[in-house]
Amino acid sequence: MMKKSICLYSFLIFSLLFGSNLSQEDACIACHVEVDQELDDEDKIVNHFESDIHIKVGLSCADCHGGDPNAFDDEDEAMWENETFIGAIEKSEQLDVCGKCHSDPLFMRRYSIDVKVDQVSQYKTSGHGISLAEGNDKVAVCTDCHNVHGILPVNDPRAPVYAKNIPETCSKCHSDDTRMFESGLPTNQFDEYKNSVHGVALLENGDIGAPACNDCHGNHGATPPYVENVDQICGTCHSNNKNLFQKSHLNDIFLSKGFGQCEACHGNHDVEIPTDEFLGWSSESACKPCHEDSHPAKLMASHFYQTIDSLKIGLIQAHDMVEKAEHKGMIVSELLFDLEDAKKALIQTRTNIHSFNNAFVDSGAAPGFVSIQAAINGSNVLLDEVIYRRKGLLAFSLIITIFVIAIGLKVKEWKRIRESEEV
Amino acid sequence: MSIYEWMNERIDLDSVKKFALKKRVPIFYGSVWYYLGGVSLFLFMVQVFTGILLILYYQPGAETAYESVKFIISRVEFGWLIREVHSWSANLFILFAFFHMFTVFFAKAYRKPREMTWVTGMILLMLSLGFGFSGYLLPWNELAYFATKVGSDIAGAVPVIGDFALRLLRAGDEVSGATLTRFYGIHTALLPGMFTVVLGIHLILVQVQGMSVPPEIEKIPEEKRKSIPFFPDFALQDAMAWLIVLNLIALLAVFFPWDLGPKADPLASAPAGIKPEWYFMFMFQTLKYIPAHVLFIEGELFGIMLFSIGGLIWFLVPFLDKKANDGIRTPFWTWFGILLIIYMIVLTAWGYLT
Repeated sequence: MMKKSICLYSFLIFSLLFGSNLSQEDACIACHVEVDQELDDEDKIVNHFESDIHIKVGLSCADCHGGDPNAFDDEDEAMWENETFIGAIEKSEQLDVCGKCHSDPLFMRRYSIDVKVDQVSQYKTSGHGISLAEGNDKVAVCTDCHNVHGILPVNDPRAPVYAKNIPETCSKCHSDDTRMFESGLPTNQFDEYKNSVHGVALLENGDIGAPACNDCHGNHGATPPYVENVDQICGTCHSNNKNLFQKSHLNDIFLSKGFGQCEACHGNHDVEIPTDEFLGWSSESACKPCHEDSHPAKLMASHFYQTIDSLKIGLIQAHDMVEKAEHKGMIVSELLFDLEDAKKALIQTRTNIHSFNNAFVDSGAAPGFVSIQAAINGSNVLLDEVIYRRKGLLAFSLIITIFVIAIGLKVKEWKRIRESEEV
Repeated sequence: MSIYEWMNERIDLDSVKKFALKKRVPIFYGSVWYYLGGVSLFLFMVQVFTGILLILYYQPGAETAYESVKFIISRVEFGWLIREVHSWSANLFILFAFFHMFTVFFAKAYRKPREMTWVTGMILLMLSLGFGFSGYLLPWNELAYFATKVGSDIAGAVPVIGDFALRLLRAGDEVSGATLTRFYGIHTALLPGMFTVVLGIHLILVQVQGMSVPPEIEKIPEEKRKSIPFFPDFALQDAMAWLIVLNLIALLAVFFPWDLGPKADPLASAPAGIKPEWYFMFMFQTLKYIPAHVLFIEGELFGIMLFSIGGLIWFLVPFLDKKANDGIRTPFWTWFGILLIIYMIVLTAWGYLT
């Protein structure tokens, strides 16, 4: 009787809290409101249900854990005495429990026509999956990334698998020295990544288009990319650079020496914003660590650097000239197009560097120099016009001044004549 | 028979000539104020001249207005000059109209028998502000678009007729291409027509009633007062002032050209620092800082009521300041004018400095 009252009471509280019919229909929820009372808010299972995607689409606790959600009167009948009840799910059971629905296309089509159902099969091919199959119970399974209760859709910014949250989610394990000790994997990836160009874009600037861990390593089928795959992975976003490098003479050399194509110069997790100093032959040169001073690479790198530098200096000069004309009130919209074209040529030239071909780099830079000259010439025409206007103003002011003085003298003369007549 | 004789036989030019030669202009410490009205008239004429030239190339419409103004500035021979002169002259016109109004106020030139001259002058000032407001939108740039949006929103807050006024101004619920076409019509047809009629009455009244002098000067016997002939002395001095102002406009046009800015984009969010034209700044600033509610009245509505009542009092000054008819300066009205000027200057400066 007491147990019945508690369940009824709990069910009323939950109804008030969530304002839904859930607790009226689900004995698990009705009882766990009471059972979990002693726990911290974070640990109370029902506290996670409000936003849980499974609860929202109408699934219940019993769909994962088994048991009888209609047995309001008897705890034993609801759980222990029910043959479907499996209670807390072990790591080894996760794939089966989640895959029961998520690997069933017919079931999943109820919720979305284009939903993926290959997560479990992908997972089994991943480093995590293989390790789990070998009996490693420290390896990440579904709930380690997606949460246990309170599972949120991938596009919910609160979800641990939301693009911006992925690096932190992966780092929970991969930055943990103890956990990673046995695997022998490094644990500095997250520290490197968060200061990289990608990490800053994603974590600080909130650009969810920037790559997180999964964009290079995969999601459910997470595996480390091999040397020969590096250009494919970076090329997903940087396709022009990839295509040019693949056609260059360096591609085969890098592969034969076991260098990750992009990684060899740009790094991996700690990839920085590439500067033009990567070119040339200064201490920051990306070529210098591998090539001797006597190698022809020095000439090529220096040529690249000078070409880019000339474009940059020209662009600054043209920009200053256009700005000067604009400050003097001239319409410079057409010159801004020239500047824009020059900027595009500069970007294109930086990309063309990956061909490691002087002639190709020069051909990309040439339109930039033409646009820079056009902007400078156009600015000069406008600045000449400003001088012409000022000269015109000077002439006009002189004429007006002469007129004003002449009128003043005439009025004075009339006044004098009139006064002498009055006298 | 000369052309003059031919005309004289038909429209009695002799009487006009006699009137012009007989007309005299008083000379005293404030004679320089007489030029302000003339300069305002000159600036209006500059506006008409440059406005007509701009119409030849300007194309109203959300897709064409900005481009046509850009074309005028960058492609049409001396188009930049005409546009700059039109913009600068418009601002100077309002400035000189304000100067003219305040000198008339402090000289108490509105007193009997010149009440109607004051009233027509005030109507001209209102129409000038209408010119400014409608003309501001015509280049269809970002700043003008949002300033018009804010300005017409204020009109929409007027009780009873607010909604109607808003739709009448905008030609719809939002500031759009239809608003631009409407403003163009108002700026180039409706207002010039009304302005010309009222200006005609104003000038006829000035000529018929002659130049007013302050009460202190009026007390001096007429034979002891100094004066100069209106024609040719004063007319030529007026011409000197006009030429100096014309030179000032040219100087401003060359050294301080108006920025066209980016094209208006109704879908874009309002840029920071939207400001109305300087002559609306004191009102804009007042409305901005009035609390959300004053007593039981909504703040914006309270502000509009305040300006309406203030404007009405200013409009009716000749009928309220009865002692001025007897040549008596009432401190109340003098202080009213001084405080109004201080208020306008402080609020305008505040608007630009914050």
